[in-house]
Amino acid sequence: MTNWLIWNSHWHSEGWVLSSNVKCFGVNLHFFSCLFLVAERPAPEETVTSSFGRFIQSVQPRHLSPTVLQRSKRMVLDSIGVGLLGSTTDVFELALQHCQHMYAPDDVSFVYGRQGMKLSPTLAAFVNGVAAHSMDFDDTWHPATHPSGAVLPALLAISDMLHNNSKPSGLDFLTAFNVGIEIQGRLMRFSNEAQNIPKRFHPPSVVGTLGSAAACARLLSLDRSQCSNALAIAASLAGAPMANAATQSKPLHIGNASRLGLEAALLASRGLEASPLVLDAVPGVAGFSAFYEDYAPHPISSLEEDEHSFLIETQDIAFKRFPAHLGMHWIADATAVVHKTLVGLKGGSISPNLVQDILLRVPLSKYINRPFPETEHQARHSFQFNACTALLDGEVTVQSFQPEALLRPELHALLSRVRLEHPHDNTANFNIMYGEVEVTLVSGDVLRGRCDTFYGHWRNPLSQESLQKKFRSNAGAVLSNERVERLIEAVEGLDHLDDCKPVLAQLQ
Amino acid sequence: MFYTYISSFATFKIQMHPMCICGVTESFGAAVSCLSTSHLTDEVIRRSKRMILDTLGVGLLGTSTPVFNTVLQCSQVRMQALENSKVWGRPGLSLPPQYAAFVNGVAVHSMDFDDTWHPATHPSGAVLPAVLALAETLPVKPSGLELLLAFNVGIEVQGRLLRFSKEAHNIPKRFHPPAVVGVMGSAAATAKLLGLPAAQSIAALAIACSSAGAPMANAATQTKPLHMGNAARGGLEATRLALLSLEGNTQILDLESGFGAFYPDYVPHPLAEVTPTSHYRWVLEDQNIAQKRFPAHLGMHWVADAAIEARAKFLDKCPNADLSQIKKITLRVPTSRYVDCPLPVSEHQARHSFQFNCCTALLDGEVTIETFSKSHMNRSALKEMLLKVQLENPQDNHSSFEKMYCEIAVETTQGEMFTARCNTFYGHWRKPLSHEDLVRKFRANASTVLSAEVVEGIIYTVDHLDTNQDCSMLWSYMHFNKHMMHRDECRSSALA
Repeated sequence: MTNWLIWNSHWHSEGWVLSSNVKCFGVNLHFFSCLFLVAERPAPEETVTSSFGRFIQSVQPRHLSPTVLQRSKRMVLDSIGVGLLGSTTDVFELALQHCQHMYAPDDVSFVYGRQGMKLSPTLAAFVNGVAAHSMDFDDTWHPATHPSGAVLPALLAISDMLHNNSKPSGLDFLTAFNVGIEIQGRLMRFSNEAQNIPKRFHPPSVVGTLGSAAACARLLSLDRSQCSNALAIAASLAGAPMANAATQSKPLHIGNASRLGLEAALLASRGLEASPLVLDAVPGVAGFSAFYEDYAPHPISSLEEDEHSFLIETQDIAFKRFPAHLGMHWIADATAVVHKTLVGLKGGSISPNLVQDILLRVPLSKYINRPFPETEHQARHSFQFNACTALLDGEVTVQSFQPEALLRPELHALLSRVRLEHPHDNTANFNIMYGEVEVTLVSGDVLRGRCDTFYGHWRNPLSQESLQKKFRSNAGAVLSNERVERLIEAVEGLDHLDDCKPVLAQLQ
Repeated sequence: MFYTYISSFATFKIQMHPMCICGVTESFGAAVSCLSTSHLTDEVIRRSKRMILDTLGVGLLGTSTPVFNTVLQCSQVRMQALENSKVWGRPGLSLPPQYAAFVNGVAVHSMDFDDTWHPATHPSGAVLPAVLALAETLPVKPSGLELLLAFNVGIEVQGRLLRFSKEAHNIPKRFHPPAVVGVMGSAAATAKLLGLPAAQSIAALAIACSSAGAPMANAATQTKPLHMGNAARGGLEATRLALLSLEGNTQILDLESGFGAFYPDYVPHPLAEVTPTSHYRWVLEDQNIAQKRFPAHLGMHWVADAAIEARAKFLDKCPNADLSQIKKITLRVPTSRYVDCPLPVSEHQARHSFQFNCCTALLDGEVTIETFSKSHMNRSALKEMLLKVQLENPQDNHSSFEKMYCEIAVETTQGEMFTARCNTFYGHWRKPLSHEDLVRKFRANASTVLSAEVVEGIIYTVDHLDTNQDCSMLWSYMHFNKHMMHRDECRSSALA
């Protein structure tokens, strides 16, 4: 396929009017730029929005460094595992019924944990995205979002959709995946507000949707103006408020981010146009800036001029060890230390009767401060719950959020003894927060634990062994051991695969 | 088939709440589930029937637009779904209800011809397509009055939510209102149609909230109509998920981190309690709606009326005047960046351009559907006149559809000055279209797609909506197209 750009410009008494004719796939697209009354220059400066469109279209596999390849393969593996485990949840079942009611079950794209079942690509992206976030077990980045769950389901759904002879190569797939991650990282750096634990909009629903659109645009080989339009269309599909975090609806934020990003790319591929300035800061008319109080965008530099450095290279990602909000990991690790000490002191299992008071020093964040969570979703977003679980069991696991575990009387006894403190130096920011616990025993002894960087955080990443162990445990909940091992192997060698069928085959 | 589905999988949580309804969200859930046809007043029925007629006509016209065709292509799926609803203006084509609501909603807003309210939003386009798509799938079809009730619940919820923010009273700058309140209205309306209990209505609202919000930057582009389509779709989807027992935040309307996320100044209030015998004061009763005379942003209507008046004065004084004698045109309008477009290139930009609408009105004495066609837009006389327009934003001209005005001053080469001012255009809620003019607009729109017989059928059906037991012919009528044959007809004629 050939793309070419023809710039026509004609001079008006007050400025320039620019238009470009772009031929792509034999379909004529007219891209008319918005009016800039620029007095003299023959062409406008590149806008932030168009620089993004250009980047998405022009980035190549050769731009992916070894570190980027390695880290992104880890993300792909973790995300698949988490999605497979998530296919066992209630919310997943619900979302699936919802989609099946709309479509007969013999469409094209696979569904996690449902061998033989297919849905349309956008709905497959939706349910698989829901699965990925259903237990809050998926990866977390800095600035805060869950980047992979928004991108991977859509890419897998497209790959399934493409004809057997034209499946993307492993490297193409990884390029598209990294484009989706990179775009999210870039967008979050346009706002200082985005650096802290979110209060207004749930980040995956904001940047995740655009990340998915970018990744899909890349995998579908859209031209640069189509890539820009995909982002702009996606902006009109972005944004879900934080209030639905810690509820059963939260996983839908990722599901929708994936689905709607794919929809945006498909609409753009059919010629739908949207704002050419959606990522730029235009006074009086909000674009992507609508989602932030403070918004200062920058263009992505041209790939010809500089060597592009993907953000994942310098800012690694966190993989969770148990399915709960990231903040819980600090407090769990801190409390595990106390548990160990206590076991050493008293031997055997921990009885609540030993404990008089539990003090937690954590950052101030309303939606993860829940003294008596009632549902599993609330429990995953409760400093108190995770601390008490870690104190009783020495660790927090997948099983910690099951109904029987939620209802334990020992746990409830401990929960009523927890207090929270929010020290000034404990900022609500995943890069600098810490967790501290102080357990006062009835005997008068005070046991302390502190965690600055939990195991799995980007400063202390999971070893490849630990990551694979997590994957085996997750994927093994729904797949045979054979398939589990083949998936590990396929993802590990993804950048060498001629096509990504080996990965898809194990998931069908 | 739909009801067996419900009984297998839905669990209704009956919420026992105390006598006093304190929470805002709770009060909305209660209102949505308790409002009944007996609460509909005559005035509300009359006004909402006008809105329905106008919306259907505008939607039919919109089925001829490129953006409608694009979204239709994208929404078509290979396999037949279990339930389908009719696509307007496409005989033989049905889609799953959410997607029918989506494409039909896009059609309604495709030309910016649909109704506008105060505080600013386009309420009907988000609600009607969803309600009709859903009604079609129900095994027992709702009566006309039940349809009207659901429609009005959807409008009411939008009106109430808009009143929770002062910022909402002005022409929007950040989020496009239909994408914010429209999806909530659609959720409320569809929840009402299904007769959901309060707790599930609340869940529908909460789930819908996670689909709300689209930035203003996409206004004046081809994507804007999708805001409407997505609002209709998202609300319907939210209701269906609530029916499957999905839950969201039960305090969604109370929280700053909930619906409040879309406004910098969010102060919600609970709705008054609704009992079977109480009188209910609908927002629509106190605040009428504006219906457009031509397909452009509402602000353009003040400009057009002022320009037409100035033109009349000019031609009155100089009957054979050549409009090229105009040296300068000054427009005094409120500040609104996204409708300040000196040299629009696309039809979408033209519909959002003070300057363009002013010059068209001066040249032609009117602004019509044709005004936004390529041939009309490319006229050299028009382009020349555009260069003579200057905008001024007087301090007292507020960016609010309730308070704005437009003043025009036309200066000729002879040194003469003709001025005019429009405070309230014809079609504004303070000066609503007469019944004849509203029906005339509908006929003009609908007959681009439907035969005269079907056009009159819709007018009759909507007019008698509150007394009709069976209104299913409404979506059947919308399914015709005089330019296309029904798929089945094609097949049989091919076989013949």
